[in-house]
Amino acid sequence: MTTRQRLGLAEMLETCRPLPPDKPNILKALLGVQSVLGHVPTNIIPQIAQVLGVTDAQVAGVLSYYSDLRTQLPGRHLIRVCIGESCTANHGGRVLHAIQDHVRVAVGGTATEGRFTVEKMSCAGNCAVSPTVMIDEDLCGRVTPSDVPSLLEPYR
Amino acid sequence: MKTTRCYLANDTSSRAAGAERLAEAWSERTEIQLIRTSSRGAFFLEPMVERDTPNGREAWFNVASNDLPRIVGGIGGTPVAGIPFLQQQIRFTFANFGITEPLALDQYQTRGGLKGLSAARSLSSEAIIEELRISRLRGRGGAAFPVWKKWHVAQQAWSEQKYVVANADEGDAGTYCDRMIMEGDPFRLIEGMLICAQAIGATRGFIYCRYEYPAAVRAMRFAIQKAREADLLDCDDYPFDLEVVVGAGSYVCGEETALLESLEGRRGVVLAKPPYPAESGLYGKPTIVSNVLTFATIPNIFIHGGAWHASLGTEGSRGTMALQIGGRVKQPGLVEIPFGLTLRDVLDRFGGGMVPGSRFKAVQVGGPLGSLFPESQLDIPICYDAFAEAGAILGHGGIVVYDDETNMVELAQHLMAFTADESCGKCTPCRIGSVRGREILERIQNGRGTAEDLTLLSDLGETMKTASLCALGGRAPYPVLTAIEHFPEEFARRQA
Repeated sequence: MTTRQRLGLAEMLETCRPLPPDKPNILKALLGVQSVLGHVPTNIIPQIAQVLGVTDAQVAGVLSYYSDLRTQLPGRHLIRVCIGESCTANHGGRVLHAIQDHVRVAVGGTATEGRFTVEKMSCAGNCAVSPTVMIDEDLCGRVTPSDVPSLLEPYR
Repeated sequence: MKTTRCYLANDTSSRAAGAERLAEAWSERTEIQLIRTSSRGAFFLEPMVERDTPNGREAWFNVASNDLPRIVGGIGGTPVAGIPFLQQQIRFTFANFGITEPLALDQYQTRGGLKGLSAARSLSSEAIIEELRISRLRGRGGAAFPVWKKWHVAQQAWSEQKYVVANADEGDAGTYCDRMIMEGDPFRLIEGMLICAQAIGATRGFIYCRYEYPAAVRAMRFAIQKAREADLLDCDDYPFDLEVVVGAGSYVCGEETALLESLEGRRGVVLAKPPYPAESGLYGKPTIVSNVLTFATIPNIFIHGGAWHASLGTEGSRGTMALQIGGRVKQPGLVEIPFGLTLRDVLDRFGGGMVPGSRFKAVQVGGPLGSLFPESQLDIPICYDAFAEAGAILGHGGIVVYDDETNMVELAQHLMAFTADESCGKCTPCRIGSVRGREILERIQNGRGTAEDLTLLSDLGETMKTASLCALGGRAPYPVLTAIEHFPEEFARRQA
């Protein structure tokens, strides 16, 4: 963690400190941490718990529950391949394979030199132009396996 | 040079289909001025560019950047009123889509926005709830509970604090109408929530939106700010505080008690009911949790009256439903029609047939927990009662069509694995049952299953249906069991 990140984290956590009668909101704090650091390292659980006035176990419980909270820093670009029903019906599985072959990484893994992390997502709500691939915040529709190299090219 | 005003949707799916590439390519062109609207929901035509003519709007479909001269020259456009996919719909909740700029409050008002709210503000709490009772509106999120009953319970409860919560955790794969409302007509959701707040006496509201919808979150936050600046959030003598809260990727948080747990920052675990949230919800206070589409349906009821709403649809399902067609059809998109058309009619009239080269195999209605229908069962009318009778659900209106390349064992395993991943773990039938179900289906998929495995799946399914705490465990067996029922040969073929 850089000094800048440490300060950013401390500042963010301060905004999560509950003022009575407000109750602590663990999820909000964890999403805040993730927005500062890109992930939630498990070694800062005690720090978060202390600010919120809850137990370490409560923080760890929320952290492990939600799939969008991550404890590992992802690659520079996060590729999320939708496996919702409409994407599945439109053979999005083939797009997922093409991506795995192209960047040479299994689902959940990060490719060499940290350029890409590949994940599945349950539904992007983009069903009418499926199959869908989300790269960082960019949503791409009607993706075919042959589109994959040119689709990933701009993300260095 | 004359500048032509054109309209291009700014909706997430339109952008994903290429609208953003067009906007970028034309950003320096002085012959065209692009107005970014919501999408009409005819996504198979996106990116679609429209322009005004003396006879209404004309549209160009699946536009590429080099189509600009044709559009500016007015060559080869199709009157929007003549697009069969749109022409055959009856739109009330989605009437503004494709027409207005989502964040322009003045345009919302010009097209009748806020009239429902002002009508409701002249009524007593009891009269608002009575109007809803007459409308016979049922919740559009999936449970189809009569809306007025919830409101009545919350209104009757005495509490110094009450809450209104919009469930925008649209997790059912194959559904996107809530996303469209939040991105495309956000003031309609705000208006519906304000009417609810007025009826039950709530002073705080939350929109719980899923993590996967960043554009919807931005649009809603902007719209709330605009509504606040326009003093719309002031009920008679007190301010109504409304904010967007973002979830973190949990399907079960679409269940209302789990959603409220998550809103309080905890694990999104389902709670036993009663107490119902309308009596004891967020922080133990009376809380109305309703789906985005439900709230967005309400303003029109107060413009046209409850009796008008009750005049549409079928006996047990009044009003219109937003169906979202996806999968292997030629014309995926949003369809708003009164309840009652058969599934076959919906697919024929709107779906436009299968994509070239593929043949129909089955259709799944109601998201990942919805039943599969083969060709022989498509004559079921789209309404809550007919679906309940068939042991199926309409859910949130998602319709996904599968083609003959779909492996039903693989699909069943995929759907059971989804439940195993998403189970909150609170009740045993769902937590353990979904994992055992997934394992059995994996075994069959790998050619190591036996005839006994099918009996086991059926027994397991019955246990999950009857003993699970919420619809995730209770509905998870349906797609699997309907797949086995309608495509038994695919399961038999893989037995050891």
